[in-house]
Amino acid sequence: MIEAKDADVQVKGGLRSDQISGVVLIAIALVVVWFNREFPVGTLADPGPGYVPLLLACTLGGIGLLVAVMGARSQSLADTAWPEATRALIIMGACVAATFALERIGYRLTTAAFLVFFLGVIERKHPLTVVMVSAGFSLASFYVIGVLLKVPLPRGPWGF
Amino acid sequence: MGETFNSLMMGFSVAFQPEVLMYAFFGCIIGTLVGMMPGLGPLAGISLLLPATFGLNPIIAIVLLAGVYYGAMYGGSTTSILMRIPGEAASVMTCVDGYAMTQQGRAGPALAIAAIGSFFAGTFGVIGLMLMAPTLASFALRFGPPEYTALLLMGLFVLAYMSGGSMLKTLAMAVLGLLLGMIGIDVMSGYTRFSFDIVELGDGVGIVPVAVGLFGISEILLTAGQVDPPKVQQPTLRQLIPTKADLKLSVGPIMRGSLLGFMIGIIPGSAHIISSFVSYGIERRLSKHPERFGNGAIEGVAGPESANNAAATGAFVPMLALGIPTGPVTAVMLAAIMVHGILPGPMLIQQQPDLFWGFVASMYVGNVVLLVLNLPMVGLFVNLLRIPYAYLYPCILAFCILGCYSVSNSTMDVWIMLVMGGVGYVLRKFGYDLAPVALGLVLGPMLELSLRQSLAMSGGDYAIFVQRPIAVTMLVMGLILLGLALKPLIFKSKDWRSSVGLDKTID
Repeated sequence: MIEAKDADVQVKGGLRSDQISGVVLIAIALVVVWFNREFPVGTLADPGPGYVPLLLACTLGGIGLLVAVMGARSQSLADTAWPEATRALIIMGACVAATFALERIGYRLTTAAFLVFFLGVIERKHPLTVVMVSAGFSLASFYVIGVLLKVPLPRGPWGF
Repeated sequence: MGETFNSLMMGFSVAFQPEVLMYAFFGCIIGTLVGMMPGLGPLAGISLLLPATFGLNPIIAIVLLAGVYYGAMYGGSTTSILMRIPGEAASVMTCVDGYAMTQQGRAGPALAIAAIGSFFAGTFGVIGLMLMAPTLASFALRFGPPEYTALLLMGLFVLAYMSGGSMLKTLAMAVLGLLLGMIGIDVMSGYTRFSFDIVELGDGVGIVPVAVGLFGISEILLTAGQVDPPKVQQPTLRQLIPTKADLKLSVGPIMRGSLLGFMIGIIPGSAHIISSFVSYGIERRLSKHPERFGNGAIEGVAGPESANNAAATGAFVPMLALGIPTGPVTAVMLAAIMVHGILPGPMLIQQQPDLFWGFVASMYVGNVVLLVLNLPMVGLFVNLLRIPYAYLYPCILAFCILGCYSVSNSTMDVWIMLVMGGVGYVLRKFGYDLAPVALGLVLGPMLELSLRQSLAMSGGDYAIFVQRPIAVTMLVMGLILLGLALKPLIFKSKDWRSSVGLDKTID
């Protein structure tokens, strides 16, 4: 029983999630300090544009250190499950592609292609449903937001 | 009092204009639908609708967005009770006893009490807003930069104390938000900071892409690939009527929840979320039969639902009286007002009485709309939950891209949204609360400006913060709360979160 417990401790050992996140916070603070060197910090009595960012970066670094130090009892990094990570990466990739396309081929084509990708390729829905939902959503949302509510939406080189 | 009444009547004359009434109605409907959809809370709903309000007059814009806000609070409770899916975080506590009641075939009374509690709390909150905001605004006219610095610092300390999760992590997120607020042109020196030669970043990072990314995109990334929602129960109109015993048991929790929620709503942080947890904890403690909680106690629905709705209204007090947001939702709403050239702050009520009183009156109207319209239509609304998630999430993503692009017709906002979505996803995986980031982003430039103005006023003497009675009072209060927040870390003792069960649920 004790052996089993020890084995469990061994499995649960290693880096903790708070230790990692604390180190990342310190790294962010250091990056801010590095880029902040371009701006005059001024004096305590007459702070310059670099004063408050430096103060905040130091505070963030300090908090990051505390999070890392006190994170020894947090969840093991190995126990943090990422079952949706692959799907999340695909979603982010599709969003990046849509953002690139938005001003180049227009709102309606981008949205239609975006939905065809998700519904047809990722979710594998019936082709007719895919076409109907994609075309319907892109045209209806353009009409409501772009035409009725007069929000200017990008049009492609072909005028739509 | 007579002046307040006259102003309110003037407000009603604005709120009862057919166009304003129509937008209040649409706001409530859209909000209810948004609140019911997992992945779209009130914040994402308001952020996405913001560009559509640019063409409207400011009163209609704020009435529409406020309708979305309290409609979403209501919608979230419906899915919590019927399906154990909290549409937004404030409804988490409603899931516990609300869903237990549904399993016992008592979904109708649970929905009815949630609606009645929300109506009572919403109305109580509006009365509080109506009485407190003008008084607070008159008082705030005495505020100079040192008082604002102290107020903002106190707000951040209160945020740390009242945070749902770890105090250190909350503070870290608030500082991260404050740092994001440093991006762009420094108004006092003209330096462009941290823009990396990207012209669009000269104006700073907007609240909308940050909010949509942190709350909308990250939620979709976390729920990606989930199975379709389970079967939904549709209670009939007759089943909605609560029994006398239900009503008797709910009166106390509704009244306590309303008062508590309003008081917590005024202070910064995720007030509507915290208030529902605290209310649940109090009701369980006050109950003669605490063992009923978790097994379908109607008080467990009445208290938290009233508290989160009253907190939603309470959040408008500092927003309208001081021009200071207490959370991301009010920050986006302030942005909506500023787009129309209206400067938020203590002078708002005097300079724009029709906007303030029209808004207050429209909230009375909105509460009635939600009660009389949504309850009988609950069967219709839950049909939305039958849309498979596989169809829903790509459309929500498309809306997020559309909404962020429309704010300033720039893909830069969409890039910011995507970056913040990725960051939010990782942060949530590591147990960080994201609301302080959005709050810090808005408070950052205010805090920096008031701090530097204070020092310019005093010739660089920091004693200015302790020489002015209002400023020193607020700083001392903030420091006491920070000390209380640090106590459990230093002495390893239990803090208030453990007593209401907030630590387990949020962390």
